Amino acid sequence: MTAYQTVGTATARVDGVDKTTGRAEYAADHALPGIIWGKVLHSSRPHARIVRIDTTEATALPGVRAVITGDDIRGNLYGRAIKDMPVLAVDVVRYVGERIAAVAADDEATAQRALDLIEVEYEDLPAVFDIEEALGADAPIIHPAYGTYPGSKPLDAPSNGYHRTVQNRGDLDAGFAEADEIIEHIYTTQRQHQAYLEPHTTVVAIEGGHTNVWTNSKVPYATRDGLAFTIGIPADTITVHALYIGGDFGGKGTPLNMPICYYLARESGRPVRMVSDYIEEFLAGNPRHATLIKLRTGVKRDGTMTAHHVQFFVNCGAYAGYKPAGVIGGANHAAGPYRIPNTRVEATQVYTNTVPGGHMRTPGGPQTVFALESHIDEIARALGRDPYDFRMQNLAEDGEQNAAGETFARVRAKETLQAGAEAAGYAQPKGLHIGRGMALGDHAAGGGHGSATVTLTPDGGITVGTPIFEQGTGTHTTLLQIVAEELAVDPERVHLDSWDTGAVDTDSGIGGSRGTRVASTVGHEVAQETRRALLRIAAEAANRHVDEFTFGNDGVIRHNSNIVAPRSWGDLLVATGQTAVGHAEADIEGRASATGFAAQFAEVSVDPETGEVKLLQFTSAHDVGMVLNPVGHQGQVNGGIVQGIGFAMMEELRVEDGRVTTLSFGDYKIPSAGDIPPLKTVLLPSDDGVGPYVVKGIGENSNTPVAAAIANAVADAIGARVRNLPITSERVYRTLKSQG
Amino acid sequence: MQLNVNGRTLEAEATGLATLVDVLRYELDLTGTKEACGVGVCGACTVLLDGRMVASCITLAAQAQGAQIQTIEGLGDRELLDPLQESFITDGGFQCGICTPGQLMAAKALLEHNPQPTEDEIKHWMMGNLCRCTGYYQIIESVANAANAARGDR
Repeated sequence: MTAYQTVGTATARVDGVDKTTGRAEYAADHALPGIIWGKVLHSSRPHARIVRIDTTEATALPGVRAVITGDDIRGNLYGRAIKDMPVLAVDVVRYVGERIAAVAADDEATAQRALDLIEVEYEDLPAVFDIEEALGADAPIIHPAYGTYPGSKPLDAPSNGYHRTVQNRGDLDAGFAEADEIIEHIYTTQRQHQAYLEPHTTVVAIEGGHTNVWTNSKVPYATRDGLAFTIGIPADTITVHALYIGGDFGGKGTPLNMPICYYLARESGRPVRMVSDYIEEFLAGNPRHATLIKLRTGVKRDGTMTAHHVQFFVNCGAYAGYKPAGVIGGANHAAGPYRIPNTRVEATQVYTNTVPGGHMRTPGGPQTVFALESHIDEIARALGRDPYDFRMQNLAEDGEQNAAGETFARVRAKETLQAGAEAAGYAQPKGLHIGRGMALGDHAAGGGHGSATVTLTPDGGITVGTPIFEQGTGTHTTLLQIVAEELAVDPERVHLDSWDTGAVDTDSGIGGSRGTRVASTVGHEVAQETRRALLRIAAEAANRHVDEFTFGNDGVIRHNSNIVAPRSWGDLLVATGQTAVGHAEADIEGRASATGFAAQFAEVSVDPETGEVKLLQFTSAHDVGMVLNPVGHQGQVNGGIVQGIGFAMMEELRVEDGRVTTLSFGDYKIPSAGDIPPLKTVLLPSDDGVGPYVVKGIGENSNTPVAAAIANAVADAIGARVRNLPITSERVYRTLKSQG
Repeated sequence: MQLNVNGRTLEAEATGLATLVDVLRYELDLTGTKEACGVGVCGACTVLLDGRMVASCITLAAQAQGAQIQTIEGLGDRELLDPLQESFITDGGFQCGICTPGQLMAAKALLEHNPQPTEDEIKHWMMGNLCRCTGYYQIIESVANAANAARGDR
């Protein structure tokens, strides 16, 4: 591996002082003269016709500046890909929590009082809440006009299953015919809230025909363009201003109240601030989707898998609009990194009268990996095999296709699993009611469009400009590290400038573990452009041709025959008084050619009397390429695992009769410092990553297999299988009673 | 009402029902204190009243009159960071930063109450401060390292 000074070493984050002194500005911190508060009224019915909305009393309340309903803003629908959502409900509500009216008032309490004065008369319609109900022959169709929505593809016949894909490989029937045994299971997963501690927040100020927005969006350009489409104004009349984002985990690409905030600002003529409270977040956020996964696998007595059929159903909630691609992927993860020649992968996206789902950390990944990796363990047990040996037999090797038919460069599934097993002490003897389980996942980093500018001034100023809003994962610091490396300076000297939208034409923002991949490529390119700019200044100063100069990794510019004395680029700028600027844009298409594996091992004890599960130890092995910032990388590993523990054992956004019933952090429990197990991390660095610094993504990989590893450990401990997440004590207890 | 914040007496026009977090943030422009859950369970809004941790989202501003209120703005600044701030920066004690002011104030109260906490004591004390980014390991390490730094071990 190449030796670097800054890249690969623990580097203090550029946002550290701002964030530890309280000076970092988040959306809710943005103050403007004359700012007023906006609040939203949510539907109390899961599916109903709106007969009447009476806002008379709300409008008359002193201090109220604007009251709006869907009738006031009939117009373009909203949606990130499939535009199926009104900004405020028009004629019909489709879930409890749907936004139906909004108020802006001088203070938050007045806005809340005004909401309480709005009268809504509903006429209830039949509603469907779960996947099987919604796909039933006589189910009410939630979106009869589906085919007319921008971004949709018309259906052959009306259905709540609005999108279906089938991917065939080999000959499934022949594969099953070849099998000695056919093993079939059904798994379900629950809704999970991203639980970023900063709720969705927007400030909008319209001044002289220009709309200024401060909102916690990880994809500010897409947010701007989506708003422009919905309102029907040009995108260049909107600026989304740079700020810090207080946690994302996939959920901060959906603007929720943001378009409403625009209309309140327009109607009231005042800047408006809307801060969701956490009731609104749980009731009407954009959570991880609940899923139903049916897996059927044909296997020979010698352990060879011959056929594998995946049926993946996604409970999308009442709208597709919060999903960046309109659908939730991940179905391929239910095929997995195994050698299976005959596969069919079906994915069906289903509308129900529940809160619409959005993106959360590897959308679809933890759900399908939970199902597949539980199922793999169950197959191994059915054959009387150890799950570790069974995986080692069946994992695809370098050059082979995985079960979904994908081929990646330098596959290291087996090495990663083996390293994890050794660190976890998988083969060590264990006591009564102690279980060990493993799960494997892989994720190739996504692509996207990125850009950056470096400005070097004669007074020693070094500034890196970026369109990325820092949402916590440290992308700004990655960029800064690379620029510092390439220009041979101390990273503490580099200043970071986070741009408002409009600084460049577009940017993909954060998502799909693309942050490090895109930032490292763009960082490298912008540094090379900056080096070239410095060489041009050197050539001009010496009145020579630019090709005669080279830029050394020590930051010194040298003439190829020493006619001009070598000097550092800093000295060059001081001497010439010039400013050097480098700009780079990079379009990185598709997923990375190299995937990264995570092999995780959980060790649990289960109390057979009560079903209580204690997580005794967790081990996470990662196939990583090069790690750019070890402290930040470990933070992604730790955070991903603990979110995964929440998904596995604690968290469930419960919905009863279409109504979310876990409406506070008192009811929706996320892991605290008291819930974390002793953790061992094993990293397997290599030169197999992508881009100039051979990187792989880590943010999603650390999170995806956790639930499956814990489920497999619990099954190992008690000899009974929980196939429905989360694995609570109650569920383990009931499973013991019914299967034990 | 008058509030004593970080050693300064400040005037606020708050009504009797205003929460301390709202008055700090929206009247006194001390936006370093964050509000998340709004019901006193997540710890993001933690401030100290006479050295004692409180959730400022469920504390009325009126209740804080007469007390010494300490917020993140009073912990340390760019020129002179508190050892806790230094260790949170060095050891990965924050990511998105939204829970960080609350974590730091809770840790400050801990170290004043118990300058040499064990790892279990840190975990126990910090259980009321939720963090969704870090998985807590590096927060616990940051607090332990700050305690060690104060003792001169680092």
